[in-house]
Amino acid sequence: MGAKKKISRREFLKTTGSLAIGSAAFSMGLGVARAQPAEVKIGVIYPLSGPVAHAGKMSKDAVDLCVDYVNNKWPDLPIPIGQWEGIPGLNGAKIKLIHADHRGEPDRGADLAKKLILDEKVAGICGCYHSSVTKTVSTVCERYKIPMINPESTSPDLTKRGYKWFFRATPHDRIFLRDFFEFLGLLHEGKVPGVGAIPKSELSKIGACTENTEWGAGTREVIQEFAKKFGYEIVSDVTYPHESPDLTAEVRNLLAPKPDILMFASYISDAILLTKTMKEFKANAKIFWSQDVGFYQPKFIETFGQEIDGIMNRTVFSKKLFGVKPVAASINEEFKKRSGVDFMGTSARAFTGMQAWAYVLNKAGSTDPEAIRQAAEAIEIPGKELIVPWKGINFEVEGGETNQNTWSSGLIVQYQNQEPEIIYPVDVATAKFLYPWPGLK
Amino acid sequence: MPMKALKDALSFADLPASERIAFAVFFIFCLIFPWATKGSFAQAVMIQFLIFCLYGLGWNLIGGYGGQVALGQAKNVGMSAYTVALFMVWWDVPFWLSTPLGVIIATVESFILGYFLFRLKGHYFAIATICVSLVWQQLFVNWELIGGARGVELPLKETPNFVYMQFTSPIYYHYFAFVLVMAAILFMNWFRKSKLGYQLRAISSNEAVAESLGINIHWVKVKAYCITGVFAGMGGAFYAVYYNYIDPFSVMHLELSIMIALMTMIGGAGSMWGPIIGAMILIPMDRYLGAWLGAIGITGVDFMIYAFMVMIIAAYEPRGIWGIIEKARRKP
Amino acid sequence: MEMLLSATISGLLMGMLFALVALGLAIIFGVMNIVNFAHGEFLMVGMYAAFLTATGLSIEPLLTLPVSVTICFILGIGSYYLLVRYLLRGPMLAQLLGTFGLMIFIRYLAMAIFGPDYKTLEYGLLIGKSIKWGPVVLSYSKLGTAVISVMAFGVIYWMMNRTRLGMALKATALDVEAAGYMGINTEKMRGLAWGLGGATVGIAGALLTNFYYVFPTVGMLFVMIAFATVALGGFGSIKGAFIAGLIMGLIIDIGGTYVGPQFKFALIYLTFFLVIIFRPQGLFGW
Repeated sequence: MGAKKKISRREFLKTTGSLAIGSAAFSMGLGVARAQPAEVKIGVIYPLSGPVAHAGKMSKDAVDLCVDYVNNKWPDLPIPIGQWEGIPGLNGAKIKLIHADHRGEPDRGADLAKKLILDEKVAGICGCYHSSVTKTVSTVCERYKIPMINPESTSPDLTKRGYKWFFRATPHDRIFLRDFFEFLGLLHEGKVPGVGAIPKSELSKIGACTENTEWGAGTREVIQEFAKKFGYEIVSDVTYPHESPDLTAEVRNLLAPKPDILMFASYISDAILLTKTMKEFKANAKIFWSQDVGFYQPKFIETFGQEIDGIMNRTVFSKKLFGVKPVAASINEEFKKRSGVDFMGTSARAFTGMQAWAYVLNKAGSTDPEAIRQAAEAIEIPGKELIVPWKGINFEVEGGETNQNTWSSGLIVQYQNQEPEIIYPVDVATAKFLYPWPGLK
Repeated sequence: MPMKALKDALSFADLPASERIAFAVFFIFCLIFPWATKGSFAQAVMIQFLIFCLYGLGWNLIGGYGGQVALGQAKNVGMSAYTVALFMVWWDVPFWLSTPLGVIIATVESFILGYFLFRLKGHYFAIATICVSLVWQQLFVNWELIGGARGVELPLKETPNFVYMQFTSPIYYHYFAFVLVMAAILFMNWFRKSKLGYQLRAISSNEAVAESLGINIHWVKVKAYCITGVFAGMGGAFYAVYYNYIDPFSVMHLELSIMIALMTMIGGAGSMWGPIIGAMILIPMDRYLGAWLGAIGITGVDFMIYAFMVMIIAAYEPRGIWGIIEKARRKP
Repeated sequence: MEMLLSATISGLLMGMLFALVALGLAIIFGVMNIVNFAHGEFLMVGMYAAFLTATGLSIEPLLTLPVSVTICFILGIGSYYLLVRYLLRGPMLAQLLGTFGLMIFIRYLAMAIFGPDYKTLEYGLLIGKSIKWGPVVLSYSKLGTAVISVMAFGVIYWMMNRTRLGMALKATALDVEAAGYMGINTEKMRGLAWGLGGATVGIAGALLTNFYYVFPTVGMLFVMIAFATVALGGFGSIKGAFIAGLIMGLIIDIGGTYVGPQFKFALIYLTFFLVIIFRPQGLFGW
């Protein structure tokens, strides 16, 4: 067994308890291969089939585009990855993505993560859209000590588990909701352009309507917490099963106590049915806010046209950013050419997540998992190199959270003439706030 | 009496030599599998296969031997998985204590509901079992105390941990599932020769005749349904520690219930090896084809193949692949 | 009180849709004791037929009714002759799971052809219009659905009880062999029952397109309720399907409003379970 000196930690773990015969030669071969990597593999797990395949497809296109920027020279692109030809810190090794399809099933995600880590020998994992799948996949990564960067799952639980190998780039639902309540505070103080001070007595009743899977249930919990903390009253609190045949009773219960503020967390199908049903009810309130996803997709805008004006969304991305972020505009142009749609919240974050992977690999200068993990902990990507309007990417352990990107932040946009105009943060606002919400007629 | 039961369970003497050889091959295959393959995806698929064998062997009792189309096994899987997960999260109860409890809960539920459900016959029974499992799923989704729609995540322990059954290497899980499946096979081997087994088969072939023989039909069905619940409960407990995360959509879904029934039917409902043959075909197909096709962007083809197979078997040989094997064996 | 009125009205409207979806299942079961798992997929095919015709030809969605009815009629007959005929020889388990296979097949074929995206109709006579009196909301598209559903039930009921064809179908249902001796082509009757089952769900599909989105797995959402509906009404009873549909609609809406919308589906399945325990043949079954 003397020949076994170069065995890596991962090989060792794989064979724990077995001391497999013949694995010595096997792992030595790998050790040699790792010294001069011509390519570095990243496993990408998204829902490419099943009900949310369209979201997975957009995310896949976004990460593919990002890797194209990293691997090939794009002289016109004003950010570093455009000048790279492969990862400079790894002697120009190219990133190779290995895509896998979890179909929205947590157990399939976990099995695929094992496949990617142990069979495909990826250096890290990127994904997985659904918070529930991200949970099982990150557990596998933690067990096998392989770093994972999650671009878009927003369940606050994910970074509360103290996982060392899990990094999240996106702001989570708590941050988004805190933004919204801060925005309400500004509204009361009269600091939002376009409207005068609105007394709290006029805006105090919240009607919450959330879908009933991991994401919606998490949002609902945070809404309750913040409503209590900031002194709002929840007058209706409705949850409904995703893809329900009928939402009449839900909408009736939501609107009956005449809430001032409507808050939603819905996937696209439910968002369409909810809006249609609310239209039947000729719903009216003062503010209509939603958690991105369903209410912030091309399909939604296309379905309802001008009727969506006044609806607010939390997001991390808007076309209106192009004025202050020309780099986002040129990347968006390329993205639209390839996939036919503009960047939206999910795809922009997927792009950013993969960009974070490229920077982390570059900093690590090695494909050793431990080196990558340390690089990820230390990384500081300035906001001007990103397409999203964040201060940057910096994974920190802070306030009971592990490896959350503390430089990330959310936007609140409002549809005006069917364009998502930025209204929060107030200092980057692109339009005046339209108040009150005109309602659905 | 217990001695005889043990002897019955361990004795495969009444089976033809070819079946005994096939079983031995299967046993050895499972035994050396983790050493014979390097692929960890293969191992993950293998464990999935073993879990489904367990579900299928249990379901075969009520659905195959008993001929009762019960389509709600997922609720028992879920109840037991939740018991194991929640007891660990709340009170740090080891797997070995919470599992029997979870299985008992799943069995008691089967007993109480089975008592009512078996007043129904035929399609009413089938639809009612589906509805009951949907009610449970809805309750679990909305029951915030037990995590609701967000599911339950088991805290990670240092591995390998035999108290909470948490391991990094799939080998441990493989052998654990293997032991469960072997125990299930031995149980089925006893069962098919037992009084209960004969009674159940009598009911399946003709209820009126069975009743005239003095068999308490209702009670026998309820008993079989409870045993099915035990199997599902064991599988659920294993699932919880294996994936470390459960939610009402992954462990209580209707599709899981139907998958269990389908798999058994494809293999051959009411035969000893049917569920294993069914799982052997469906699980690798589901996982491998799904992974390959998903990676190159083709979706749904695996489902179409699988659906086509189900239709062909249902139309031409309702006794499944085992029926085909028996037919071939009878006309040499 | 106002809430109750509003919930009752919208519940009844929705109930008529559920009844219409269940009608086809009731016809098929009445004639040959088989539960069609693929029924929801027939609905989906009907919806796609209506949607694609309406958008392809840019015509009023209501005019697509004949198209989706025809397509679903053919689909029903085709399923019978190519698959169900053979399933009938086997035990109940094989019959159930055989139609389940058909369901998966149609669903993923649709997924391969149309993709997983949600599609909605954005124009039409009834789409997006409603009248509102205080809390009572009447959506035109649901009202239209209810009217046509009642008409469909009327026609089928008349046909089953007053025409020679209906008599022949009933005779086949009661005793296949005897019906055969009487000179009825029972095979044709069974095929026809499947065609009719498909056609009625085709109507539901075309109407549903007016207010619901179309996507490949839409069938599952409605078919589970339809199963509970036909079983509650008594398998094979057309009157039972109608009344059970209304009951389901009322429970969903009134129960959803007062108990909590998150429990509305649990409520209908629970009601079904309780009724069926005390009346194992359903409300109007035999």
